[in-house]
This record gives sequence, structure tokens and C-alpha cells, in this order.
Amino acid sequence: MPVVCKHSERMKKFKNKGKDAAALRRQRVEVNIELRKAKKDEQILKRRSILLRLMDESVSLGEDKSNEIELSLEEIVEAVNGSNTKLQLQATQATRRMLSRQKDPPINQIIELGIIPRLVEFLTRADNASLQFEAAWALTNIASGTSNHTKAVVEGGAIAAFISLLSSPHMHISEQSVWALGNIAGDGPLYRDALINCNVIPPLLALVSPVTPVGFLRNITWTLSNLCRNKNPYPPLDAVRKMLPVLICLLEHEDKDIISDSCWAVSYLTDGSNDRIQIVVDTGILKRLVELMASPELIVMTPALRAIGNVVTGTDEQTQAAIDAGVLAVLPHLLRHAKPTIQKEAAWTLSNIAAGPCQQIQQLITCGLLPPLVELLDKGDFKAQKEAVWAVANFTTGGTVEQVVELVHSGVLKPLLNLLLAKDSKTILVILDTISNIFLAAEKLGETERLCLLVEELDGLEKIEALQTHDNNMVYRAALNIIEKYFSGEENPDLQPGTSEDGLYDFSVEKQDFNF
Amino acid sequence: MELSDANLQTLTEYLKKTLDPDPAIRRPAEKFLESVEGSQNYPLLLLTLLEKSQENVIKVCASVTFKNYIKRNWRIVGILVEDEPNKICESDRIAIKANIVPLMLSSPEQIQKQLSDAISIIGREDFPQKWPDLLTEMVNRFQSGDFHVINGVLRTAHSLFKRYRHEFKSNELWTEIKLVLDAFALPLTNLFKATIELCSTHANDASALKVLFSSLILIAKLFYSLNFQDLPEFFEDNMETWMTNFHSLLTLDNKLLQTDDEEEAGLLELLKSQICDNAALYAQKYDEEFQPYLPRFVTAIWNLLVTTGQEVKYDLLVSNAIQFLASVCERPHYKHLFEDQNTLTSICEKVIVPNMEFRAADEEAFEDNSEEYIRRDLEGSDIDTRRRAACDLVRGLCKFFEGPVTGIFSGYVNSMLQEYAKNPSVNWKHKDAAIYLVTSLASKAQTQKHGITQANELVNLTEFFVNHIQPDLKSASVNEFPVLKADGIKYIMIFRNQVSKEQLLVSIPLLINHLQAESIVVHTYAAHALERLFTMRGTNNTTLITAAEMAPFVEVLLTNLFKALTLPGSSENEYIMKAIMRSFSLLQESIIPYIPSVITQLTQKLLAVSKNPSKPHFNHYMFESICLSIRITCKANPDAVGSFEEALFMVFTEILQNDVQEFIPYVFQVMSLLLEMHKNEIPSSYMALFPHLLQPVLWERTGNIPPLVRLLQAYLERGANTIASAAADKIPGLLGVFQKLIASKANDHQGFYLLNSIIEHMPPESVDQYRKQIFILLFQRLQNSKTTKFIKSFLVFINLYCIKYGALALQEIFDSIQPKMFGMVLEKIIIPEIQKVSGQVEKKICAVGITKILTECPPMMDTEYTKLWTPLLQALIGLFELPEDDTIPDEEHFIDIEDTPGYQTAFSQLAFAGKKEHDPVGQMVNNPRIHLAQSLHKLSTACPGRVPSMLSTSLNAEALQYLQGYLQAASVTLL
Repeated sequence: MPVVCKHSERMKKFKNKGKDAAALRRQRVEVNIELRKAKKDEQILKRRSILLRLMDESVSLGEDKSNEIELSLEEIVEAVNGSNTKLQLQATQATRRMLSRQKDPPINQIIELGIIPRLVEFLTRADNASLQFEAAWALTNIASGTSNHTKAVVEGGAIAAFISLLSSPHMHISEQSVWALGNIAGDGPLYRDALINCNVIPPLLALVSPVTPVGFLRNITWTLSNLCRNKNPYPPLDAVRKMLPVLICLLEHEDKDIISDSCWAVSYLTDGSNDRIQIVVDTGILKRLVELMASPELIVMTPALRAIGNVVTGTDEQTQAAIDAGVLAVLPHLLRHAKPTIQKEAAWTLSNIAAGPCQQIQQLITCGLLPPLVELLDKGDFKAQKEAVWAVANFTTGGTVEQVVELVHSGVLKPLLNLLLAKDSKTILVILDTISNIFLAAEKLGETERLCLLVEELDGLEKIEALQTHDNNMVYRAALNIIEKYFSGEENPDLQPGTSEDGLYDFSVEKQDFNF
Repeated sequence: MELSDANLQTLTEYLKKTLDPDPAIRRPAEKFLESVEGSQNYPLLLLTLLEKSQENVIKVCASVTFKNYIKRNWRIVGILVEDEPNKICESDRIAIKANIVPLMLSSPEQIQKQLSDAISIIGREDFPQKWPDLLTEMVNRFQSGDFHVINGVLRTAHSLFKRYRHEFKSNELWTEIKLVLDAFALPLTNLFKATIELCSTHANDASALKVLFSSLILIAKLFYSLNFQDLPEFFEDNMETWMTNFHSLLTLDNKLLQTDDEEEAGLLELLKSQICDNAALYAQKYDEEFQPYLPRFVTAIWNLLVTTGQEVKYDLLVSNAIQFLASVCERPHYKHLFEDQNTLTSICEKVIVPNMEFRAADEEAFEDNSEEYIRRDLEGSDIDTRRRAACDLVRGLCKFFEGPVTGIFSGYVNSMLQEYAKNPSVNWKHKDAAIYLVTSLASKAQTQKHGITQANELVNLTEFFVNHIQPDLKSASVNEFPVLKADGIKYIMIFRNQVSKEQLLVSIPLLINHLQAESIVVHTYAAHALERLFTMRGTNNTTLITAAEMAPFVEVLLTNLFKALTLPGSSENEYIMKAIMRSFSLLQESIIPYIPSVITQLTQKLLAVSKNPSKPHFNHYMFESICLSIRITCKANPDAVGSFEEALFMVFTEILQNDVQEFIPYVFQVMSLLLEMHKNEIPSSYMALFPHLLQPVLWERTGNIPPLVRLLQAYLERGANTIASAAADKIPGLLGVFQKLIASKANDHQGFYLLNSIIEHMPPESVDQYRKQIFILLFQRLQNSKTTKFIKSFLVFINLYCIKYGALALQEIFDSIQPKMFGMVLEKIIIPEIQKVSGQVEKKICAVGITKILTECPPMMDTEYTKLWTPLLQALIGLFELPEDDTIPDEEHFIDIEDTPGYQTAFSQLAFAGKKEHDPVGQMVNNPRIHLAQSLHKLSTACPGRVPSMLSTSLNAEALQYLQGYLQAASVTLL
């Protein structure tokens, strides 16, 4: 299904989300290139079938199924370009049907027929609702393809036509337009802003009312979320300000798909610089988001967690707002969640809270986050373990000596040292830095020797020693540093050869003027 | 250089000469080649030669020269470093890249390897941007069907891609990997499938199989590299293909691929080993996706282990395979794969126990390569061994199944012990395995310093010790079943903290007895065990085993230790020497009766090893032992120092004369110790040596500086007057040493040590003429390159000077160098920096010195310096009130060589030659705060009213409060 492409594209983008934002607080360099497969989430598959069913219903509303006629491409071109309204409808319907088929919709062939401008023209045929609807549907599916496909629709002049159809007296036409606009907005920041500039937001928001059917509202929410999405550039601030109040209402809806998509929207809005985060924080929505993080529904929990995860990449105050909203009470469950991606996101969120000042670290301790963190480090999925390592690293960087002691007492060393066997250079390096941090704390307490023994007992010493032959330069140097500093006695300060005079020591000096 | 036959001929000649064993011919040829490196066409000439030369030796030589040329020059550093221009012109670069791949592929293996290396060096710089067609060129060769060519491509690809295993994730790296995946992953997969097909069609053709399996190994390695950073979409989609085939390769066997060699791993083993690594990679990083395949791999790997033999060639495979199981069995969600009692029993019986057995190879090492055996067994450098892997698996299984595993093994241990009891001389290996099993089962955490620190509570260690370890060690013959003796001794050593003190005391005579064992491992273990027992701590930071408890064994212990050094193979055994040192330190004065014999033996040993020092640890402990002998003896009888000098000086002279560099720093330290033992004026034997100690050549070696400074300090302490009277002409040389040291940022503190001793001990008139120059020199360093370390030392020195010569003298000499100098030093150095001074004695010196400046220096009261008076006082109070450093308790007995600073570097400090901290103001001033109060009181009596008014105008409130405290404590008031 073409629609699915659009959704999976979206999922692909969200996979990268948190990572970029993390750089703000954690200063972590992540890549934009993915080697991984973009995962098709269950949520997306379900939504597709729902949407399909809805479509079929509206189809059956509009016409008689026995009317379906198979036409060749040539016949379609002829009919669409002709002036016979009946044939126009038949051809448009046939086109729509082809574009809706399960496998390999012939989007390219349809575009090559050059009929898009005609289809766009049909959108304006207020006299013929069926034709308007079929054209809208066909264009929706074309726009759901690749970027080039969407481009063909936009360049056919569809934006203005769809926006005016939002106010169509026929609900199914208006709904189809919402969908089409969602696909266009989802293509990227360029078309998203083109829509915003054509003033898509007011008529779209006007469709939201207490009596809007749930299915329609789902579509609207989804389109809104696409209007919030993407960076470089971000959506204009005044557009965001217009949409936010409605999104916040939608977050209170009882339908989980609507909640999910509005959460996604908020997660996109928080995925940016601190002033973007601030706009969301100011709405006072964090408490609701934290509540939704604890939802049993994966499709709700996932974007809510992501939104909160983004918020804590912000300033200390913004992070504090999330803490005040109760994020620390929910995280333990999420760190122990069965799904690795949730574990990972939760650990990522925690790592950014641990990057805060020691007061926030203290709250993290008080709220009992250390045991689940250590558990995750020990037994979690590798992706989650990596994030947990970051959390521990940040903790040891910003924590007080007492807090680091608390961390060590909670048993962090064993799983941390075990992860030195991880097949990931960066993780190893972060662990080595963390170990150095813990040693610094031990030095301040005069407990270096005890820590040395502990590290050795936990088989950490031999792992660090083995890393001295690691192929990665930074890893091997970090390992060497720890060994030299803590496990082979202090360095003798007198290693460097002295600046030799001329070899003969005659004691004499020239006087000069001194001024210190 | 043109691409001409003449040039090819010339180059051939020179290449030939670079192979000449005579350096007179070889060197100029190498020089010549280097000189023409920058010429255009040079690399192309080399490529032509390696392809077309008639002589094979020239071909190979050209290929090596080419590779080294690429290695040195391909990377363009010229952008950063101007004088390193790009030596390879662009047209040559293009030509090389265009020709090297086909050339590599058509070359014989020896040359292929060199060119493959060269390609990966070029690739590292140019791939992918500047060498876009490399991948396509390589991939196209996969279709050639010629596996010689294919293996060349695979090898090159491996050397290009293997960095993906260790580099950090970055946009650049991942862009490259993505590009490689797009071009390479599918062809590689197809090649993999095709190769496996071919393996079955050629199942009866040994030579074809060898080539095909070499390809499979490379393919498996490439799989590892390409999957390392993250799980690529392609490989996730094709996991079925790869994993199914990997799985079936794991279970494959073919007689034609089995090798006769017992040591060297064959192709089959290498391939399976790499597949274990691949499976472990997926299990660790991509668990979610790999889960469906994992149980199959566990079963396959386990079956592999059950069917693989004991030969050394399987070691890597077996330890990799066991490590895979060990890492999986610890995961909560795979627990169920192991939890069944039958499974556990079978793993214990068929995987763990067989791999713990003492093998013929171990026996060989035990007898013939004991040093290596000890290193592996004792120091834990056994990471890749089967025993170690089996041990890790035991620990992994114990995470969830400690009870059942302990139960299963108890049964095995008992039956193995019964087997042994039936016929010890035949079945002794069973007991060895039993002991090893108990050890690995019982030990949960271990350190070198303390042995086992956490034990499995389900194992009764004492019972096993009494019933099975002690009997072996009590047996009449120390040479029977040496492996079991070594096992027993090791058991005591590692479980020393779990066994009671009584048991340890019972063991001590047994251990002493085993110092006589012929087996190197056994007597070494005995010495090591004793040494470790002697370092155990009891209550109150004393040793657990006391000198009194050792009294009955002193003679036999010393006798056996020194006798052990005469056993074959142990003449420089560091474990024995360390045990000697530790015994001396523990036994203290009870060794005195044996010193005459001991020192003779040590001296002889010293003489012998100084011919060719080769065991640094042994030598170090030997000198430590000598120091201990001297200290312990002279403490009881100071006059004995003469007899030590008599015994040692001859060897020392020889060491100095022969310039045995490794030993000279030690000799200086021992001499310092001896000299410091003298109570009276310095003996003439030392004075004769004095001029030699000032020789520049000695001071050029960094390792000599600390001990030599220490020695000169001892000379000054004991013989300042003698030097002033009998060696006054050497004073400039002495100060020259000081100047040499002060010129170096690294050694300036040593220079200050020396200078402080000169000021403190030399009669003032003997250094009078040099004083001004000393200060000028110091000011120069201060002005040109001051460091915190220098400032700290400088502050201590000027205050010491002030104490010795008076505050007025200090002011006068400063101001004689440059007007107002004194004020400048006070204002810019002393007042702002004094808080940096660390160390109790150092702080005290500064406190007393500054007190003198404040109270005994008239210019401070009535010149422009007066404005500095209160700030200086405030700085002094700050110095007093800084938190004190915690003093380190005297723990020198416990000092390990690994803990002493600078070991293995040029300077090897002897812990037992240690010098007591010297406090030059100790007699004069006890409490510097009280001293300040009293001095201020005295000053205020001399000029009533002045002091209180200066205090009240500018001293801050907090400082004033402290000061009032001092005044109260001293019961004085200011007038």
C-alpha cells in the first residue's frame, strides 16, 4: 500500500529522533546515516488496515460496486482529458483503484500519463462530489509515494485545491483532503512550510470539534503531527503556537490512536533547541505526557516517552520541569520494559537527567533509579546497555563524591566492567572514562587502593589490560592511562631527561634584569 | 626517471644490493633508493619489476620495496607539514590505482600479499572518494570463478574493511560502510552460497577444498567486519541464508580437511572459530533479531565441543566456543536452554571436565618451560586457554545454577579423587583435575594481592584442604607427583584468606620443605606462597604471621631459600629472591646471626649477575635484601657498617668501573644507606670517590639523578666540613651539578634538594663567594620558565636560607642583586604563592622563615617594604590554616615492587634503602604558630604600639581571630 510507504518513511525518521536531540545535553555525536532496517512498528500496520476499511466504507457509500470497470491506460488518458463527465468519473475511479491495489501500485505510470493537472482540476468540481472525491483519493495515493511522486502532485497545483476542499460540505471529501495534505506535509520541511504558507492550519483546526467522528479526527491528528514534524528548518513558531492548544486538547481524547499521534506531534515539537522545548513546557502539558508514558498502550507510551526524553535534553530548568511532572517515578518500569526499544529510550532519557546538576542526580537516587539502571546494565538488550553506560558516565561526571559512592554501592561496577567486552569501541571508551571518574572520586576519599582491588576482583583489571592492545587508538590510550595511573604505581616525575647545558658543569651565570 | 629498460636494469642492481648481508654494500643501495623515491615513474618501475623481472627474488624484493614506499609516502602530509612534500605525483597515483588490483590478482601469493597490503594502505587514504571504481573492480572478479583471484580480492577487502571493527561510529565511516554494503553485500552473499555449493561438489578433492575453505574463512571474516557497527538491513533480510549456512558449516566435517599437525589449527578449525565469533557478535549486539537462531547455535556449538579432541590445534576453537556458551548462559532469557538437570550434567561432564584435564602439552610446559607455565598459571595470562574458558563457563553457569552445578561437580570431584586413590601413580591427573575443578568452582573473586576474596559457600575449602591438600604436602618425598605438589601449594596460596591461621601455620614448614623440590614450578610456588603468606595482614596493621611464630623456622627457611637459588633453572628466580626480601623484612633481628653467611651469598650473587643483568625483578629484590640486611644489622650494632662496606665495596667498585648501568642507581642507594649509618666524620674511602660523583657523564643519565642527589646529600650531611677543608676546589663542580639540575624542569626539585643540603651543612664561608650567583640563577629560572613545582621548591629554599643566615641577610643579598628586589619577591612570589607549598616539613620551614622576615628584618618595619608586612602576615596565617595533608602510615613492609614509583624506568627506587624525612628546623622550633606569637611579642616589645596598629589597620578579621588564638596559646600579648 502506498500509504504504508509514507508511514514507514515516517518511522524511519523517528528512529533518528532522540539521537539528534541528545547532542544538546549529552553532546553526543551521532550519525545521520542508518545501516539498520527501518522497523515497521505494529502500530503502523494496524492503522493501515483501519484506514483501508474506512476507505472501503466511504467507497461503498458513494457508489455501487458493480460499476467498477477496468480501463486501459490509454482509455484513462482519453477519458480524463475528454469532456464526458461520466467517462471522467469512470476513468478517475479506475485510476484510484489501480493506485489502491495491494501490490506495486503503478504510481510512475500514472504520473507519466500526465493526467495529474486534470485530476487537480477535478478537485475544484464542486458540482460533482463523486469526481472530486475520486480525484482526491487518487492524488492522495500518488502523494503517498516517494518524494518525486509527492512532487508531481504538488507541482500539479494540488495544494491550494486540497486546502479549499477542507471546507467542503461533504465530510468524506474534506477527510480525504486532510489525508492528502498529511501526505504532502510528511514529505519534508519544504512542502510542510508551503502548506503552512498557504494557510492550511486555520481550516484544518476548524474541523476539530466535539462532534467530529473519531475516524476523521484520527486523520486530522495525523496530518497535524506531520505539520509539526521535521527540522532544517523547524516549522514556523507561529504555526506551532496555533496548533499546540488543539494538540493539547487532543492529548486528552479517549481514543488511543489520537493520543498517540498527538504525542508524536509533541515529540516532534520538543525535538529541537531549548526555546522550542520551552514552548511545550510552558503549556503545562508535561504532567499529562508523563501520565501517558505509563500507559499500557505501546503506541501511546512510545511517543510520550520520546517527548519527555526530548524535554530532558533541554536546560536544567526544563529537565527539572519533567522531574517535577514525575518522570522519575515512571522510568523504573520503562527501564524494565520487555521491549528493547522502550528500555533503550528510557535509558537515554535517564542518561540526560544524569547529565544534570548534582541536585537532579540526587533526585534520581532518591527515586530509586539506581537499581533498575544497574539491572539494565547487567541484563538489558545491548542497545539499552549502551544508553545505560552513558547514564552512568554522565552520573560520574556530574555527581558528587558521595553520589558516586552511592552508585558504586548499588553494584554498578560489575556489569559496567563486564561491558568492556562489548563489541563497540565507543561504549568501551565511555566505560573507561567512567572508570576514571570513579577513580577520581576514590582518590578524594583515599580509597584508591580499595577500588583497585574491587576492579581486579570483578575481573575488570584483566579486561582493561587486554584493552591495551585494542586497535582503536583512543581506547588503548584510555586503558593504558588507567593501568599506568592506578595499577602500576605512580609515575616517577623524573622520567624526562634534563635540558643539558654543554655537558660541562661550570657554575656561572649572567645577571639580567628581573621582573616577576 | 623514464620507464626505460636502462632504468629497470639500474633499479634491479640496487634492489639486489639491498639484500646484501654486508652493510657497506647494503646501506648505500638503500640510501640511493630512498633518494630517488620522489622521482616520477619510480613506483611504476617497481611495479614493472615485480611483474616482469626474470628473477623471483627481485620480484619479491620489488614488491616489498613498493609496499614500504606506499606506506611511507602515499599519505599526503604536505598540507600540514610544509617540508614534507608530496612525493608521489598525481599521474603516478592514477597509474598505480589503475593497475594494482589486476596486478595483485595475477601475482603469486607471496607478492599478492604485499600488493594487497599496499592496496589497503592506499584504500585507507583514497577509498571511497578518490578510488570510486575499486569496489566494482573487485566485485567483478567474483564472477571469474578463479579462486586464486577471488581469495586475493577477499583478502584485500578484509584488510580494507577490518577497521570497521574498532573505529568509532561517525557519519563518514557509516557513509563508507553503506557504500560498501550496497556494492558488496549481495555479491558476497552470492559468492558465499556458490562457494558452499562448490564445497559439496568438490567434497572429494582435497586441494580444491583447501582453496574453497580459505575463501569461506575470509568471507566469514568479512561478515564480521561488515556486521560490526550495526546490523545492516541487507544482512537482516538475508540472515536466514547466512545463519543457516554458518550453522551447517559448524557441524560439517570432512576427513580431507583434517590435518595431521597437532599444534597448528587447520582450515576447518579456523572457519568454525570465526563462525563462533560471528554468532557471538550477533548474540551480543543483535539479540532481538538473532533470537530465533540462537538455540540452534548453542546446540551446534555444544556438540562441536563434545566431539572436538584434546589436541592443541583445537584450542582456539574450543576456547572461543566455550566462551560463546559462557556468555549466553548468563542471559536471563536463555536460562531455560541450560536449566534442565540433564543438560547441566552433560555440559559439566562433556564440556567442562574434559577441558580442565591436564594435557600432555601442559605436562611438557610444566617440565620444560616452567617460566611460561608459571606465568600462565599464576599470573593469569591464560585468557585464551581451554582451562580458563572452562573456568569462565563454570562461573557463568553458577550465576543461575550455583547449587546444581556445585552438586554435579562434587560428584565428579569425589569420583576423580577415588580414581586417584586407587592408583596414584597412574591416576594423578585425576586429582589435578579435581583440585582445579574445586578451585574454579570455589573462587568467585580473586586478586593478586589477597588471593581469593569471595568464595562459593557451598564448597568446604578447609575440609578439602585437610583431607586432600595437606596429605600430599606432608608426604615424605618432595619430588613425587610434582604437579600435585604445585597444585597443593597453589591452593594454599590462593585460598590463604579462606583457610584459618592455624592451618597456615601448619603449612609453613611444609612450604619451607618444598623449597627443596627439584621441580622449578614446585619450589617457585613454595617461595611465592611463603612470600604471599608473609604479606598477609593481621589485626592492627601488623603481619598476620609474626616473627615470633616464625622463630623455630628461621634457620631452615633461610637455608632453603638460598639453597633454592642453587637449584638448576632457578639461579635468578625472582620469586625466591622476593621471598628472601620478605622473610628478612618479617624476621627482622632474628636474621642477625645468619647475616655473615647471608651477605656473603648475596654478594656472590651480585657479582655473578652483574656480569649480565637480565632479570630486573630479581635484581631489584636482591638489592632490597641487601638494604634490609644492612638496616637490620646496623640498627642493633651501628659498628657493623664497616663489615658491610668491606663485603660490598669491592663488588660496587667493579660495577662502577664496568659501568653496569642497570645497577649503578642501586649502588648509589646502598652507599647512601651505608654512609648515613656512620655516626662520625665521613670515612676517607668515601672521600676518595667524591670527585668521581661529580662527573658529568653520570648526571647525563636520568636514572642516576635521584640516587646520586641522595648520595651527595649524605656526603654533605656527614662530611660538609671535610669537603670544605679537603675538597674546596670541588665546590664549583658541586654547584655545577646544582645548576645542571635547576636548568631542567623535570629535575629542578632534585637541584633544590642538593642546594638545601649545601646551605644547611656547608660552613657559610666556604660558599660565601657563590651565594649571589646562586640567587641570580634561581631568579633567572623564575623569570624565564617558572613552574609550580619550581616555585614551591624556591619558596622552601629561600625560607631555609632565611633561617640559616637571617632575614636581614636575605633582604640584603636580594637587594644587592637589583634594587627593591626583596620587595618584588615578597609581593609577586611569596605572598601570592606561599599557599601552594605542601608537605609538613616544607610548610614548617616556610612558616619559620616568614616569621623571621616579619620580626627580625628591620627594613620591614621602616622602609617602603612596610606596606607588605600585614599582607605577608596574612599569607602566613593562611599557610597555617590550610587543611593538613594526612600523613601516610609507615607501611613500608607491605610495599610491593609494583607499587614503588618508577620501577622499570631508569630509576629504580629501593623501598628498604628509604631515607627518613629530615626536618632542618625540628630542633629549633616545635610549634610554628606559638613561635610566631612569641616572635611578634618580642618585636612588639622592641617597638611598642607599632605591631597592634599594623594589625588593626589591614589584617582581615578571620586572620586576626586566628592570630589571637596563637597569642593566647603562647600566653603572650602584643604591646
